[in-house]
Amino acid sequence: MTILRNLRFALNSAWQSFWRNLAVSLAAVVSITLILILAGVNLLVGHAFSQVLDGFRDKVSVMSINVADDTPLTSVYAFQQQLQGDPRVATVRFVTKEEALAEFVRDPNNAVLSQQIQGNPLDAKLEVRVRSLNDVAAIDSMARQWPGVDPTDPTNYQGEFVTRMLQLSQWLGFAGIGLMAILVIVSVVIVMNTIRTAVYHRRKEIEVMKLVGATEWFVRGPFVLEGIMTGVIAAAIALSLLVISYPPAVSRFSADITFIPLTYDPTFISSLARDLLAGGALLGALGSYIGVRRFVRL
Amino acid sequence: MELSELSGRLSYTARDLAQRARRRLTSQQKTQLMVLTPDFTARPVISFQHVWKRYPTGTEALRDVNLVVPEGDFVFLVGPSGAGKSTLVRLLIREEKPTKGKIFVEGVELGRMKRRQLPFYRRKVGLVFQDFKLLPNLTIYENVAFALRVHGQPDAFIRTRVAEALDTVGLSGKELTYPANLSGGEQQRVAIARALVHAPSMIIADEPTGNLDPATAWEIMQLFMRINARGATVVMATHNREIVDLLRRRVVAIDAGQIARDDRSGRYHDDSSKSQIRAQ
Repeated sequence: MTILRNLRFALNSAWQSFWRNLAVSLAAVVSITLILILAGVNLLVGHAFSQVLDGFRDKVSVMSINVADDTPLTSVYAFQQQLQGDPRVATVRFVTKEEALAEFVRDPNNAVLSQQIQGNPLDAKLEVRVRSLNDVAAIDSMARQWPGVDPTDPTNYQGEFVTRMLQLSQWLGFAGIGLMAILVIVSVVIVMNTIRTAVYHRRKEIEVMKLVGATEWFVRGPFVLEGIMTGVIAAAIALSLLVISYPPAVSRFSADITFIPLTYDPTFISSLARDLLAGGALLGALGSYIGVRRFVRL
Repeated sequence: MELSELSGRLSYTARDLAQRARRRLTSQQKTQLMVLTPDFTARPVISFQHVWKRYPTGTEALRDVNLVVPEGDFVFLVGPSGAGKSTLVRLLIREEKPTKGKIFVEGVELGRMKRRQLPFYRRKVGLVFQDFKLLPNLTIYENVAFALRVHGQPDAFIRTRVAEALDTVGLSGKELTYPANLSGGEQQRVAIARALVHAPSMIIADEPTGNLDPATAWEIMQLFMRINARGATVVMATHNREIVDLLRRRVVAIDAGQIARDDRSGRYHDDSSKSQIRAQ
């Protein structure tokens, strides 16, 4: 019961303080909204790029090992077995020369070329899907040492492309984390200063609270709640703006930059909402906790 | 102005105050005033043992202070500004810790008290300050109730206790008034009601009459006397010579951080030093 009464007191105090210092509170809400919009854009862009990268990754994680025409089938099956037993390999599929040709002809991009082909110049191949892109190089060198591989065109592995893509994906990840860290620091500082202003306005109340026997958490509670309130309001505003502008932004981007297959993903909205609201609440709580800490120490 | 003339004027003020005060006292209060003398056989509630306090600036505010206050005692802490009275009060409410020595309150050593225990200690003490420390945006009722609210007390209990406390200080009917609409004396009464509302065993007051005119100061002192008569120990730092001389309670004089005098029913100034001055 005492906890409930204290919670009620803290909520009332936080609400009153928010309205009493409305100008400062609104300034904080606007600043944090802008920061959370940036954070949300960062999340959305990160998500879109990860979708694009996943597509590329899916393509390059499948490697073709070309089999020389004179390789006996027993040797091919033995190598297929060996690859299937490798923990780095997800699946291996043997594609005969005939199947390879049929696939080539089926591909509309090869329509002109397939009419000019005489006989079957294509190799039979082992299509290997690796679990991690980092292991493609190792599987490629393993394939090149297999005696049954076509020595003129052993695999379709494009080492440099995969390496670059891995680097790009890594750099994008780092940039996203870096940007998020900056945004977190900036918003914590903003909340901290807002709460310090509120603390300054209520310093006498805090002094009296401490003198009449309030616990540190009793004094701190309203400020932390006020910080959470500020963060959640800002997150709600930021989320609404992002949800409204996400589909048109994606369609505009896809229309302008056609080589990047960007798509609108409505399922990401719920995770964005969760991240922004939790982030806003956490930033508000953290900022106010730090902001008020020095003043509530008994 | 001649020194003798000034001295004469001051003694006139004291006499005048005493007469005015006596006129205001009921016969029962007069009896209380005469009868109430500290009981030094009572158990000690406050004990300072070789207490030193040096601030980070290097100022030595208290030097080897030893003081025992029995339960129910009424102690005036007197002395010039900067003598160490307020430091002693701050040590008592654990706003400061002693640099050396020990302070015990009701058997608990304040220096060893953990931070999380401090609020519960302060709930046993009623604090009154010169600047009242009322919250201007709260009504009188809310100001007094505030002390119980921070303790997490239920509303019904708060209503009863606040009504009692406001009745004790003579402010019933002013519950919805804001501090700015009260006189200085009334504001101090509110502060006293807030100090009393949780029924503390000890009241610590730092210059409670410092901002009040002599007549109002005397009214406030009457309140403190009544609180003390109910059994609460009162420790009061004051500059108010007239009141100290009139009430003739225990006087602990502090000078340059040391206890210069501890009289059971003393005056603001040491009589013996006065006689020494006269002799010179």
